[in-house]
Amino acid sequence: METDVDAIALRLFQGVMAPLVLGGSLRPGRAIGTATARALGSVASMPPVDPETIARVQRARVRRARLLVPIDDLGPPSAAEWVLAGALHDLLQSMNPQLATFRRGAAGRLVALARRTVDSVGAPRSVRETVSRHAWFARLLEVTRTDTTVSWWSERRVFLGVDPPPRLQAWPGLRRVRVTRSSRRLLELAPLAIDRELAVDVLGRFLARTPLTDLATCTRTEPAFTWASATLALVATRAGRTIGMRALARLPDGEVDAALGRATRDALVKNRHAASPALELLAERAIAEALGHGGMAAGTPPTEEATFARGVGAAAALRILEGPESGWSADDRRKLRGILATWSVTNTGVAALANDERRRLLRILETRPETDGRER
Amino acid sequence: MVERIALHQTRLHTPGLSLDSKGVALGAKGLILLPSIDRLVMLLAAYTREHSLEHIVPSLAMNLLKSKLGTREITFEFAAESSDRMDRMAEIARLVGGIAFTGTSRHFVQYRDSTAPFGYDASHLVSTEAPYALYHERFSQTYDIERRIDLRTLLLRLMPRVDPSTKLEPGTRFLVTEQGLGPAAVQYLVRSRVEGDVCVAEWPEESALDDSPVRRWVMRIPQLPERMRQLVHTTPGITCFVPASPGVVVESGYRHPVELRACPVFDPAALVFLRGGGGDPWVIDRVAPMAPLSTFARFEMRTKGEDAAVAVRTTQAAITQVPVRVVPSNARWRDATATLIAPEELPLFRRLAYALPRAVVAKARIAMTTRGAFVRSEAGIESMPLGSFFVEIHPNFYLPAGYRVTPALAPDVVARAFGAPPSQVVFVGTDGQAWTVEERAFSTLESVLLEAPSWEPLAAQAIEQSLSEALIELKVVAVGPVPKLVDDAATKAGG
Repeated sequence: METDVDAIALRLFQGVMAPLVLGGSLRPGRAIGTATARALGSVASMPPVDPETIARVQRARVRRARLLVPIDDLGPPSAAEWVLAGALHDLLQSMNPQLATFRRGAAGRLVALARRTVDSVGAPRSVRETVSRHAWFARLLEVTRTDTTVSWWSERRVFLGVDPPPRLQAWPGLRRVRVTRSSRRLLELAPLAIDRELAVDVLGRFLARTPLTDLATCTRTEPAFTWASATLALVATRAGRTIGMRALARLPDGEVDAALGRATRDALVKNRHAASPALELLAERAIAEALGHGGMAAGTPPTEEATFARGVGAAAALRILEGPESGWSADDRRKLRGILATWSVTNTGVAALANDERRRLLRILETRPETDGRER
Repeated sequence: MVERIALHQTRLHTPGLSLDSKGVALGAKGLILLPSIDRLVMLLAAYTREHSLEHIVPSLAMNLLKSKLGTREITFEFAAESSDRMDRMAEIARLVGGIAFTGTSRHFVQYRDSTAPFGYDASHLVSTEAPYALYHERFSQTYDIERRIDLRTLLLRLMPRVDPSTKLEPGTRFLVTEQGLGPAAVQYLVRSRVEGDVCVAEWPEESALDDSPVRRWVMRIPQLPERMRQLVHTTPGITCFVPASPGVVVESGYRHPVELRACPVFDPAALVFLRGGGGDPWVIDRVAPMAPLSTFARFEMRTKGEDAAVAVRTTQAAITQVPVRVVPSNARWRDATATLIAPEELPLFRRLAYALPRAVVAKARIAMTTRGAFVRSEAGIESMPLGSFFVEIHPNFYLPAGYRVTPALAPDVVARAFGAPPSQVVFVGTDGQAWTVEERAFSTLESVLLEAPSWEPLAAQAIEQSLSEALIELKVVAVGPVPKLVDDAATKAGG
């Protein structure tokens, strides 16, 4: 078992963290485990990699962060980021096709270790830390594996995630060699030694630890976006909500509304008070749309979830406008009220829901939260 | 009587009458009934104003008709061909007071008008042996032919009208002079260097008292000088004619009432002189060969001396060639278009190049020789105040400015005397010595003025595509041993 933490950190940085930021070949190695990952957290600094690589990684992270916030320095990986990187490493290796045949147990252990590692990491304690984690893991869902099928006149072989040997591609004309490459996204990999739902669950937990990434990829298919506590905590703050709005502005509005509407409806059903930051975010999106900044794509009929998100956001925005802390002028308020009233959940959004659920949601919405707009 | 043809009517009573593609009743012939001969002339004059009779003449027949009542009328009969031609003729007939009819052999019905756009049909045909039976909405009449009218005869009998403007028309003139006046007129024209042809034509005796045919000189003058117009129009015995059509000329000062160019009834090989003032036309059936006027120039015979003085011997002509000299001229020189810059002045010329205006540099051409640099500029060389100036006295032949050549010869003679080919540019110095420079040796000054600037090749460095993001490709690597959950938990607890 590899015990030199610095060596593991070096391997983890070069094989996983740097490619995750810069792109290129992502090569996870020997399993790390929870304990070692936590030990990596004690490094909390850059491994002894060549300065050029470190500079390139940091530039790419800053560039990623500057899409959302003006920041010049993100610093070395924090302890939590090392641990999350180790967890991601193990999660990726649990999906290694080499384990799918005779080492299914090892794969199961690996994904369990990854889950345990992820669970050991807490939510970011500041917006800066949120941005830093996002700068590391923003491209997590862009990881793909290239599977290559080489067929020739007598045989056909498949190479999963490895390059086929050149000898099999020699004399392509004579041997009638045919090479087919296909890219598979992370959750489309096959064969898997583990239950796919397990991998989706771990990935969802991982995204919950990096809330800005979670919000910036809310339109993903799997794992479906839900309001995690860390994400709600992010949008509960003024700065976090602003950054979150910027991240959402880079996504298609209709898909964002659908994802947020679905997640918000679930969150409201579970805990009205905990979901109030989500309502504030939807309220700000509704106001922005009423002012002509963004909005649903013309020509595409909104989904039920998107209509719900806009209706809930409009209702929340109306409460904000009528509140004592509203900074809008009387004219603006009247203008916005006229637009938002037509979108409000009482008119459209909830009408499409089932009667019992509609009554329940209306009751929840009519309940005034205790700490709306609190800053953290 | 006639009745109007209705739309889509297909059955007609009049024999030879049918409907054309437009539904208009049309026979094979068209006929214009005119009350008098002057209306016929008006018809011809009006029609030939814009159209030619070339297509009508082959089928044209003009008759003087006599009705049973004894009235006489004129018909103008022609092949109908189409309703377009009939429409045109019918409009002109209405203009001159005639009536248009159409038919095929004997029965002619009124041609269509505004009240009957598809024409008319005779409801009751007259049974007659008369050559013409005309059916009009107001009358039906049969006619007998009294006599036929020949178009050529009619045109010859028509008297040209007075029209002085024809005297001023440019072009060929025919002069007909009486016999006694012919030689004098010819000599006058020859002396005046007037080109032309002449022949003599004979006409029969005009009266029984004449004992010989009447001879007249006929002259064709392509370009009669304007100063002679008055002479040929006012001199008795000389009649001037203006060509009206091939084979027909009309006396100058008169115009025929019918446009003769539209009447192809005259033989181009013949010549008809239509005279004004009621004179009979003169007709030459076959024009005799005409001789140039110069043939008739007067000549005189030498009556004294030998027939010819024969040379005793011949010798070579004495050579009188002298060398060309270039001497200073008192005349003010101008238009210097070339300069010779001596080799010692070239450094100064290099410095001057920086001060030359753009237009001078663009137009100047330079040739480098062992004698120095020859610079030429068609726009003038004065703006380049260097070297010895030259003036181009002949294409590609230059003399020093302020000098001239003696003997005083024409520039082309001097240039020819040097015998330089056209591809060489000749420069004659003040001492009379000439240099030649190949024309192609001259290049534009702007193309040779600059030295080739040195340059250093710089390799462009590849700009890192920092903003593009490479794909993240997961590679499968051996997993190795996996820690057990219990051990890892223990380690975690211990850590």
